[in-house]
Amino acid sequence: MKEIRVNQNIRLESGFQEYLIESDRKLDLSITCDTNCQALFRIRGAKSLRIRGYAADGCEATLLFWNECNAPLECDESYEVGEDAHLIAAYGECGGAAVDRSIYFALRRPNAHGEILSATLASSNINYRMNMVNFAPHTLGEMRNFAVVMKQGRLMIDAIGSIVNGAKQSKNHQTSRALSFEDGQHSTILPELLIDENDVEASHAMSIGRVDDEQLYYLMSRGLTLPQVTALISSGYLMPVADVIEKEEVRSVLREELERKLSAL
Amino acid sequence: MKRLVIENLHVTVEGKEILKGVDLTVNSGEVHALMGPNGNGKSTLLAAIMGHPKYIVTEGSITFDGQDVLAMPVDARSRAGLFLAMQYPQEIPGVTNSDFMRAAMNVRRESPVPLFTFIKAMEKTIKDLEMKEDLAHRFLNEGFSGGEKKRNEIVQMELLKPDLAMLDELDSGLDVDALHVVANAINNMRKEYPLSLIVVSHYERFYELIEPQFVHVLVDGNIVVEGDAALAKRIDEEGYDWIYRDYGVQPASEAERRKAPVSLGSCAVAQKAQGK
Repeated sequence: MKEIRVNQNIRLESGFQEYLIESDRKLDLSITCDTNCQALFRIRGAKSLRIRGYAADGCEATLLFWNECNAPLECDESYEVGEDAHLIAAYGECGGAAVDRSIYFALRRPNAHGEILSATLASSNINYRMNMVNFAPHTLGEMRNFAVVMKQGRLMIDAIGSIVNGAKQSKNHQTSRALSFEDGQHSTILPELLIDENDVEASHAMSIGRVDDEQLYYLMSRGLTLPQVTALISSGYLMPVADVIEKEEVRSVLREELERKLSAL
Repeated sequence: MKRLVIENLHVTVEGKEILKGVDLTVNSGEVHALMGPNGNGKSTLLAAIMGHPKYIVTEGSITFDGQDVLAMPVDARSRAGLFLAMQYPQEIPGVTNSDFMRAAMNVRRESPVPLFTFIKAMEKTIKDLEMKEDLAHRFLNEGFSGGEKKRNEIVQMELLKPDLAMLDELDSGLDVDALHVVANAINNMRKEYPLSLIVVSHYERFYELIEPQFVHVLVDGNIVVEGDAALAKRIDEEGYDWIYRDYGVQPASEAERRKAPVSLGSCAVAQKAQGK
């Protein structure tokens, strides 16, 4: 695992790599992906993070940010996706502390494909602002957000999909789902589409709701307590974020970490 | 010997009394059939035993193996050995059958079930119930056909090995072949250990396969007739009219159960047109 404690320009190598971000200062990171690569960034601390990412033409890149911070985190992220490139930015937000994250994706060249995937266990203030912009023709932007909002948790997702004039035959889709088990939480999801081109596909879907009482009864009728049911359903909701990493041993470590957090609820 | 004892059970649902003083004792290893016209309390009785929060016990008692069942939350009732194969099993997206069943098995044990042991047990059960091999990895009941959901209830039952299982119209949604598969699985469990059963079904065919020793007929919230398997056969042939006639009872009216239509409010446009 490579440690990041100061501002850095990172050029990801082919294959999988793991970074640890741990600092008490503001950090500026530049991440360049020009090959097929996957990176796990464990964030243990940073006063704030400013990330500029670039996926070069033709590359397949996945960045998974695994937030382990005990203190509030502020992130400002911006990504550019090149021609025929596919960039996934995924977020595992299960640290328990507040998060304020702004993510901007520019699908700058034809056939660029950008994905934002977030899995959030919200037990404090979580604010997301996401903007996925199709600038070039035949580009595809996707945003998928899954959150379990616990008591005292406040979730805000403002997700904007934009297709600019000239980005013909582009697609921009988003889904955001927030789930809760009890009262005393607050969730707001604002799905927006700004379309300035014909001949495109765009969609948004969102749901906010409590787990159905009949579902809870069904699961509990097999012997599971309410906290165990909460952990099981949350796990099913949040765990898929770990699957963006192809390496099975990394995935299982992340799953175990998440399971430990959920079983401690 | 684990015995279920129900005495003078009164249960209301949304303020309406459905069960009006049910007495029933099920000894270890016994099979009881619960019959009666629709809407007369069969499912209510099973749900009340299992602890569905909508079903309020207003009077009476339920004990199992000497423990006060009514004092237990639903999960504790399950761990005490009760199981309800539901008429309408819920779909739980995101939760796989294997994760769910492993968690449910683990809460009954001191230490977690070893992965290999669990996989072998799950594979055997899937085979017994002739389910698709990918069942373990599919989300719980999501996208299952009606018959698959019912068979999955028995998969769960076989893995959890309850002392007393209640089957609420398990046979509805099952074709003839699946009915035999399910009945065989249940009968095999009965050979392994003294499993008690309370079975709700409208069909003599299922009772022929499960062979209940006791049959109870529930009409308007009371058990009005009891007998052996011959009673189920007679009901299959003659219906319930002879019971209403001979025992002077009337079934709870379906119409009575239906709520009166509820107004969602007046149309504002219509109100304006009427000068209101």
